[in-house]
Amino acid sequence: MDRPELFTLDDASLVIDGRRILDHVDEHLHDGVATAIAGPSGSGKSTLLRLLNRLAEPTSGRVLFRGTDVRDLDVLELRRRAVLVPQRATPLTEDVAAEVRVAAPHLTDADVRSLLTRVALDPDEVLGRTPSSLSGGELQRLCLARALAVGPEVLLLDEPTSALDPRSADAVDAVIRSLVASGLAVVLVSHDVARAGRVADDVRVLHEGRVTARGAAGSLDLEHELMSPPADGHVHDTDDPRAHGTAHLPHGHLDSTRTTDTPEQP
Amino acid sequence: MTQIPSWTAVAVSVLLVLVAVAIASWQRLGISREIVVAAVRALVQLVAIGAVLAWLFAHAGIAGALAWIFAMTFVAANESRRRGRGIPRAYAAALVGIVVGTASTLGVLVLGGVISTEPQVLIPIGGMVVSGAMQASSLTLTSLRRSAVENRSAIEAALSLGLPAPQAFAREMRTAVRTALVPTVDSTRVVGLISLPGTMTGLIIAGVDPLQAIRYQIIVMYMLLAAWAVSALVTARAAQGSLFDDAQRLVPIAA
Repeated sequence: MDRPELFTLDDASLVIDGRRILDHVDEHLHDGVATAIAGPSGSGKSTLLRLLNRLAEPTSGRVLFRGTDVRDLDVLELRRRAVLVPQRATPLTEDVAAEVRVAAPHLTDADVRSLLTRVALDPDEVLGRTPSSLSGGELQRLCLARALAVGPEVLLLDEPTSALDPRSADAVDAVIRSLVASGLAVVLVSHDVARAGRVADDVRVLHEGRVTARGAAGSLDLEHELMSPPADGHVHDTDDPRAHGTAHLPHGHLDSTRTTDTPEQP
Repeated sequence: MTQIPSWTAVAVSVLLVLVAVAIASWQRLGISREIVVAAVRALVQLVAIGAVLAWLFAHAGIAGALAWIFAMTFVAANESRRRGRGIPRAYAAALVGIVVGTASTLGVLVLGGVISTEPQVLIPIGGMVVSGAMQASSLTLTSLRRSAVENRSAIEAALSLGLPAPQAFAREMRTAVRTALVPTVDSTRVVGLISLPGTMTGLIIAGVDPLQAIRYQIIVMYMLLAAWAVSALVTARAAQGSLFDDAQRLVPIAA
């Protein structure tokens, strides 16, 4: 991968109330592509996303944005450069145009219309309505427009389609693809490996706070990786103190294809 | 002045407690004992406070009266903080709100020459102000706490757009202060129609002409509006400072 590095997770761990949510994560996420973090619920993937815009702080280790420790950046600037769109599409205003302007108050009407068009919403159809009157898929795309209005370098999307029916989800995915095609980097979190593989260029599989597989989307064993629990002998038990600290496996080992085939339904 | 009841009169009024106890035991309400305890407590507490006030009025002077009021703000803040359980430093937020609300309101009254500075005026008026400020502070903390828990996803959505905490939390702040002001605005609106409030009632019983008594009541109502508003706003601002950390994150709210 010769694209510049966007985010670097440097041995990042996060422990909350004695529970290890993320366990020594070393990752490099690249610019100009869509990277999916896939994994079952509880695997720590949303938390990983929140490390990237400092909604969460690693207990140990570092998170770098374009080579700079995120703690050395102004947090508001970081969040404007790396805008996170939460899982629940939550309107913050009572009006579609106001919603787009919520963090970019100086946008002209033309800017607002162009942003709506960019997320495949028809300005003539949605302007003047309240965000809560939109369908789930439309609201999710409005949230994308609201995020784009800030002018980010990367969008962090937490389960952008999990609450949507398949057709609405496809529409949102199409918008995400078009944004990536226009040069925007995207990091998205998903429990749906098939969908993640379709929308992302690059996939990381997260299990119990550890990246257990990584690769280009569409690689055949990807679905298998996600659906399988970590291989025998690599099982990471969050309740087992011996599993923490120095006992974790080297990365090269974790990257290798695994052969267990017990399916785990998310 | 009209005649003030003697201790003999008070003794006769004990019959009224017996009426309440009789009803409770006749209807087997199971609270006879509680009624007696409450009545005794009321007697002891009021005798004690009467004695304290008599001493204060005779000896305290302005400085003593202000010290008394200041001490009351700490008691009030301690009461208020329970409403903000889970909000870090809720006690400090309540205290600063109550102190600023009380000081600013009393300051206007005293410096404007609206009320006299004798302890027998300052202490009861100060008590009303502190009590109002405390209720405003409690309601504010209750509302902020609820908002911070229920609206977390919306607040984090706003923070995630790079909005600073005061902007991301602006709706919750407005709601909290507005909610805190509703009771006093309501009671101000209907004053005199539904109940005759304490200040004028007391003055009228003591023999003051009603048209003079209401002047005091008007001042009291207006002073409470200010005390509630200032206290709610300052408490909300202080609590907001504790609800977000240096990295503009909404802190976890303990149950």
